[in-house]
Amino acid sequence: MKTTLAISALACAIAAPALAGKPEVVANYVAIAHASYDDSLTTARELQSAIDALIADPSAQNLTAARAAWKAARVPYMQTEALRFGNAIVDDWEGKVNAWPLDEGLIDYVDPSYGGASDENEYAALNVVSQKSFTLSGNQLDAAKITPELLSDTLHEADAIEANVATGYHAIEFLLWGQDLHGTDHGAGERPWTDYAQGEDCTGGNCDRRAAYLKAAADLLVSDLEWMTAQWAEGGEAATALTADPDAAISAMLTGMGSLSYGELAGERMKLGVMLNDPEEEHDCFSDNTHDSHYYDGIGIRNVYLGEYTRVDGSVVTGESLSSLVAAADPQIDASLRAGLNDSVAKLARLKTVAEAGTSYDQLLARGNQDGEALILAAVDSLVSQTRDIERAVNVLGLQDIGFEGSDSLDNPDAVFQ
Amino acid sequence: MRAALLSVFVLALLPRPALTDVTGAVNDHVLPAARHFAETADALADAATADCRAMSLRPAYQDAFDGWMGLSHLGFGPLEQDGRALTIEFWPDPRGLVARTVRGLVADADPVVDGPQAFAEVSIAGRGLMALERVIHGDNADYGLDDYECRYARAIAVDLAAIAADIRTDWAEHAQLMLTAGTADNSRYLSAKEPEQALYTALLSAIEFDADQRIGRPMGTFDKPRPKSAEAWRSDRPLRNIRLSLAALRDLAIHMSDTPIPVTETAFETAQQTAMALDDARLAGVADPQSRLKIEILQQQIRAIGDAVRGEIGGGLGLTAGFNSRDGD
Repeated sequence: MKTTLAISALACAIAAPALAGKPEVVANYVAIAHASYDDSLTTARELQSAIDALIADPSAQNLTAARAAWKAARVPYMQTEALRFGNAIVDDWEGKVNAWPLDEGLIDYVDPSYGGASDENEYAALNVVSQKSFTLSGNQLDAAKITPELLSDTLHEADAIEANVATGYHAIEFLLWGQDLHGTDHGAGERPWTDYAQGEDCTGGNCDRRAAYLKAAADLLVSDLEWMTAQWAEGGEAATALTADPDAAISAMLTGMGSLSYGELAGERMKLGVMLNDPEEEHDCFSDNTHDSHYYDGIGIRNVYLGEYTRVDGSVVTGESLSSLVAAADPQIDASLRAGLNDSVAKLARLKTVAEAGTSYDQLLARGNQDGEALILAAVDSLVSQTRDIERAVNVLGLQDIGFEGSDSLDNPDAVFQ
Repeated sequence: MRAALLSVFVLALLPRPALTDVTGAVNDHVLPAARHFAETADALADAATADCRAMSLRPAYQDAFDGWMGLSHLGFGPLEQDGRALTIEFWPDPRGLVARTVRGLVADADPVVDGPQAFAEVSIAGRGLMALERVIHGDNADYGLDDYECRYARAIAVDLAAIAADIRTDWAEHAQLMLTAGTADNSRYLSAKEPEQALYTALLSAIEFDADQRIGRPMGTFDKPRPKSAEAWRSDRPLRNIRLSLAALRDLAIHMSDTPIPVTETAFETAQQTAMALDDARLAGVADPQSRLKIEILQQQIRAIGDAVRGEIGGGLGLTAGFNSRDGD
């Protein structure tokens, strides 16, 4: 009896080789994406409650609690960034919630050293909190009431300038921490809780409007995350599209991993900051939370490959993985990519360790800080090197033709001359 | 749909499957470009050492920038190492960091410009061609021999020459890596296809950069054109850079293909003729509806080169673009 069972199990294994099918891999990816956005939403709601409490009862304790809620909310959200570049539905949306870097003077008061309007952005120091009415791109605007719509439809990317970030995590971060005026020395933003005190205790002026802005930004973050979570639920647009075309989905998974690893995280967010010695080139520059943001980006990239996500409640979403697909095609590439992902996570963890021990990311960026530079560039090199293995995975899975799209100029040659 | 049509068209056109000529591209395109940039950067440093005033530096500055345009599209390997490409030319610069950094160094008369090793630690926004442009074409370009700006300009020029020399040396080594792809001790290029893909990715991303950044930035939107976002407009280079870039990319495309690439060549020819016919060095015409249209047509023609390259070179060789350092935002 036992023998028969063993033999039939073996027969099954031979009949259906242990090769994960693309549909199963994609289904697991969609499940992970949904869980990640759902966790981002849950933690954003906790942030929203903490902000409501701060506004209702301004105090140092409530400001600290809101800051802690913001940091917690970043943990699941940053892991979703690996979903961004391969999926247009995410990439077209993410500017609402995570746009960066920003000219924060658009929103609220800033230090004189910030300067005023710049060549590139005449609204860099608009300070909406202090003004009930102003002119924007030639239009007189009534901002007496600060609403989510004012932020999302009028102020965000005002004057077609990307640095005019009026919504999302970083706008909220600025309103909770204020500017980090310590440069490349230790210390984050030090906005006093009294910036939210009403009546005579108010500091920074217009505390009621500042509170209204913060509330509107938090509400908007929650509603934006509700929308994105729904796109990944069963029947949602992202889930449906990816499930319908597993080849394109696999390509989207690898595109997201590679673009975040290389151009975005290693390049734009890390290497550039070192080369500019500029503390404002920190991703979470007001809160000094950059080490966490980078680390969870790294974790998110690995999640996609290993097909595994640890939820904020400790449960684990897991299933068929991209790794098993690649391993079936070329075990060496799979082993190298897995080792590379572990290495980049370990190198990013060193930055987190150092920051948690008291040396923040901006200190590492200081001109002449050789150790800091070496620590950051080691993570950059690891991310660049894993990107090469991601390219090899794309090639070995035979995804060459995917994403090969026509364009207006060739589909319709006359368009060029219209 | 169109992809399929184009593939058929290309297959019908070519007598045999196209081959990539990495050896030809490296020996006849890449290495001469690295040598030429090193020579022009060296001449700039010599000029600055002899006389660091703006009027003396401007001709050599133009030559060095020309040299850079022959090389800048090869963003992998030696140019990627230590962020050299961004150090040589920090652009685009949407946050105005070059202006801010140059102003800061000059205001403080920061002595960091007095030693090459110390200067190499300065923010890249204060180094390279764009910082030098601010100094020799900016508002205070009438500085004298004893002014801080003179020492600063010299420091930038000497720094550029050193970077260019390192790139030339490193390219000699990297060329060997590309030419020995797939051999046992080559951990950079694991198969013959990988250097082909690196060149192909460089070609395609540079075409995109010309269309999206060099033209797209000053174009802005119809209601809000941004001529001052054009690349190096203070030194009258926006159109010149596009012309030189197209010439360099065409040269790369020809050298990396073992077989004729008539579709690609025609696309280049069309765009290059449009670029030659434009009489607007700074692309200031983006603000005028009539001339804006011509610049927009050039942008579309450059995008059409990308389509031709994908169909004829990429499709013919079974190549796909890899990730490039400009992926992301």
